[in-house]
Amino acid sequence: MDITSNVRMGPFEVFVPMHSNAAAPREDGDGTYPGRLFIVEGIDGSGKSTQLSLLHKWLEAKGFGVVFSEWNSSPLVKDTTKLGKKKKMLSPATFSLIHATDFADRTEKSILPLLRAGAVVLCDRYAYTAFARDVARGMDRKWVRDLYDFAVKPNVAFYFRVPLETAIGRITASRDCLKFYEAGMDLGVSDDPQESFRIFQGRILDEYERMIPEFGLTVVDATLPVEIQQAQVRRIAKAHLEAAKELRVRP
Amino acid sequence: MRQTYGTLLPGMKLSDLAGKLIVIEGTDGAGRTTQINLLRPWLEELGHAVLDTGMTRSPLAGDGIRRAKEGNNLGRVTQSLFYATDFVDRLENEIVPALRAGFVVLTDRYIYSLMARAIVRGVNPVWLRSLYSTALKPDAVFYLRLGIDRLIPRVIFSRGFDYWESGMDLYPGRDMYESFCNYQKALLAEFDRLSAEYSFEIIDASPDAEDVFSLLKTRILDVLAGDSRMSFVPQLAREAKQKLTARNREPAPSAPGAEAISELELVFRSFAAAATRQNGNGDGHTPAH
Repeated sequence: MDITSNVRMGPFEVFVPMHSNAAAPREDGDGTYPGRLFIVEGIDGSGKSTQLSLLHKWLEAKGFGVVFSEWNSSPLVKDTTKLGKKKKMLSPATFSLIHATDFADRTEKSILPLLRAGAVVLCDRYAYTAFARDVARGMDRKWVRDLYDFAVKPNVAFYFRVPLETAIGRITASRDCLKFYEAGMDLGVSDDPQESFRIFQGRILDEYERMIPEFGLTVVDATLPVEIQQAQVRRIAKAHLEAAKELRVRP
Repeated sequence: MRQTYGTLLPGMKLSDLAGKLIVIEGTDGAGRTTQINLLRPWLEELGHAVLDTGMTRSPLAGDGIRRAKEGNNLGRVTQSLFYATDFVDRLENEIVPALRAGFVVLTDRYIYSLMARAIVRGVNPVWLRSLYSTALKPDAVFYLRLGIDRLIPRVIFSRGFDYWESGMDLYPGRDMYESFCNYQKALLAEFDRLSAEYSFEIIDASPDAEDVFSLLKTRILDVLAGDSRMSFVPQLAREAKQKLTARNREPAPSAPGAEAISELELVFRSFAAAATRQNGNGDGHTPAH
């Protein structure tokens, strides 16, 4: 079974691994969720969080019950991730696993039940971030995809595509210094954080490009003005919301 | 050369992992910890450097898992991944370096317990196999098997029932006893399935700890006898044999089983002593001249 065959389990698609002997889609009753899941992806400095925040405000203004979930934000795992990063204890494998743990906790406690309850769920970064970063750190591509087999397939995965130089320009303008793992310093490709960041983000960009056809990411040209990007995002989101019959409205 | 279950982690080299990886598996209360506490000093007396390790002992994730379990709100997939984080941290930073340095690694549980516990909670077995495909294949897995009837008194009269060991998250029965029985039965059935798949050596854990220990010793000596580093010392083997012959002229010890073990112990002591003499750094890799 090929992952691009997009086997649908109701309105949501479940990540289906490349090989038929890998994990089967998990059962969820009839496999349908009344809610809708929109996620944004892109390298640092692509402007994805700005776009998601604008979509969030618009959806709330329209009266939808909207819930936001951010990458690496589970309270259960926070202390462990913090410890690992602070003491530089994380290898590519444990970096991958601790972020998957964080994602699993958010999936089990919030994303999945909220979708079942008919909410609109917005995620800033999703499993694709792990696919890009972990593979850029040397993890096996198939292993990481299998690892996130439990993830719900989003209705729309917006990918904010931006050239590396533009993103780096935006990041360096807004940030004093780059953090150790953020700059990919653990890879040991360069002692200079700026140089290391450039190489690491370049690898991540390559992985995103590969994922566009693989997962059917919706590409948004992130060099366009903010307003034009947002208009595209809203138009696509609107089409998906109109098709949904059982969405919650805010009390 | 040593193998993994299918996935090689970045930066991990499988060559030169000369030590031995020995797994002690079994359900809660089967006596794993007791046996490891007996095996470690015995192996050290024979001259082997020993690392013992077990679940949630990683500096990275151990505390995090304990805190998460206190809250009783750990989802089944999250739990599996948290334990996998703990396992891989120990694999990369303890187990592999120890094997490279020629240690005997004794591990109290391995991926099999983690898989069994997750499978009975409904986690996809194929996903778990992929998750743990990064694990090294051990040299031996000793499964201390104890039936449910024997297990219950051991738990009742030692530490009492524990929320997770009783599978209260899975079988919220009327009381912990009921949950415990249901959960441990499901675990035993899963262990039996894994046992066939991963060729566990089944050790009946119902006799006294001393008897189980004797049995484990003979089995472990077989594992260690297959150590290629020992083949360079035929001279020492002859010496050891002479010593044994001399010893056998003395009055016979009590049990024939015990005698067989002590003979082998003597051989290994000689080997270990010779290895220490031959290379001052003590890593046991340098072949004889």
